[in-house]
Amino acid sequence: MPSAHSDTDLVKVDQDRNSQRWIAYIQKDLPEHLDWWPYTLGAIPLTLLGFLIVTGLLLTFYYVPSPGKAYESVEFITEEVYLGWFVRGVHKFSVDLMILFLLFHVIRVFLTRAYRTPGEWKWVTGAIVLFVTFAMGFTGYSLIFDNVSYWGMTVVTNMLGALPIVGTPLLYLLRGGEEVSDNTLLRLYDLHTKLLPVLLVVLVGGHVLVVRLIGFADVAGSRQSHPFYPVHTLLMGAVAVGMLLLIVDLVMIFPPTLGPPADLQEVAADVSPPWYFSAPFMVISLLPGPVALWGLLGGALLFVVYPFIDRELARRGWPMGVINATVGTIAIGALVILMYLDTQM
Amino acid sequence: MAIIHDDPGRRRFLSQAVMGFGLLFGMGLLGLRFVQFLVPTGTTKRNVPVLLGVEQSLPLNDAITMELGNHKLLVLRTNEGVAAFSRRCTDLGCLVSWDKRREQFICPCHQGIYDKQGRNIAGPPPRPLDRYEVVNRAGQVYVNLAT
Repeated sequence: MPSAHSDTDLVKVDQDRNSQRWIAYIQKDLPEHLDWWPYTLGAIPLTLLGFLIVTGLLLTFYYVPSPGKAYESVEFITEEVYLGWFVRGVHKFSVDLMILFLLFHVIRVFLTRAYRTPGEWKWVTGAIVLFVTFAMGFTGYSLIFDNVSYWGMTVVTNMLGALPIVGTPLLYLLRGGEEVSDNTLLRLYDLHTKLLPVLLVVLVGGHVLVVRLIGFADVAGSRQSHPFYPVHTLLMGAVAVGMLLLIVDLVMIFPPTLGPPADLQEVAADVSPPWYFSAPFMVISLLPGPVALWGLLGGALLFVVYPFIDRELARRGWPMGVINATVGTIAIGALVILMYLDTQM
Repeated sequence: MAIIHDDPGRRRFLSQAVMGFGLLFGMGLLGLRFVQFLVPTGTTKRNVPVLLGVEQSLPLNDAITMELGNHKLLVLRTNEGVAAFSRRCTDLGCLVSWDKRREQFICPCHQGIYDKQGRNIAGPPPRPLDRYEVVNRAGQVYVNLAT
């Protein structure tokens, strides 16, 4: 009686096919060159984003986003709460390392020109992820509400306010008024804990999805070799555990500290922002306001559309490999020099 | 039927276009209202003269800082008279302070320097310090604040 059990059989065959498809999906072969570590640098910031979300959620249970209480609550987290210093330390070092490895990842992609057709959208989505991460960094260190935070808020909102047309509304939107006030901290808190994290997770998801859909650029001599699961996944797991160990050690050696509380009447003697902002900070210190602002904006725009510039120039026969190596060296050199200048001031 | 240029496709397109535009305008207006919700309404400003004191009682060649309402000011008395400056640096809004020895206003954020007339002489500031109008009525010094 073949018809008696054919229905269940069909469902089973369907299920089998579906699971086959899933297995094939996660076991997709990756090119051989992904064995070499510089090609896997994107997974590290992804892992660190996970750490940041977990520790960030924990921190929200104690943090109070009000100018009178923000600094105290951070102090409370650091000094009183059980393992508070540790959670805050992991949050802090994760963001430092996330930005560092994002930069390494960008440098690798730039030097190997991995954004070439059809990979332009990998670059564009990734560039936006980088900017949103910087915005997370800025809103995050503003929440501490020490002197550097407070004057950082003032300076950055002022810079955005200097933009033509959108500037003034944006300034009011961010500050919740004409001046940096109680509203400002609450708004930056909302951005840091609600809007930007959702945006970042969506963008990172989009970036990973685009990479999955488009695949990897051809690298000479690289064959399809190892499957994503389990070989590559295991490697990523090992990297995640390694990162966790590194961060735990860093937090133990350099426990998080707090600067003096915000003084609304007197600017701190040293208003240097965290290291990842020291280069733009020096740019706005050394150049007159509008020039610095337009320079930074122009640089950012150029950065986002670089794959399209590369395509156009390569079509005209420019040696892009050499150009990228030169541009990359100059850019990294300039960043390092600006950072060094900042430590000297 | 005498209608020639009418067919279901065109009808559907037109009705969808009208509805689509209506929806777009509606949502746009709602979005605009939400932005207005986020941007607080400003209060109307009027000029209020505030008495600072007798001119002779202000220290000569030294600036005093004060906060009047939402305004942070520096009042400097020189031989030419009394001047009131906003402490807000015209570069990016940090607060300037008076350096007595150099007789200059210094902004510590990005090393902006102003002379004692409030003119930007070094560093990134794009324009002189904002000044408040100072009125002298029979030796009594008033400063005009917009509040």
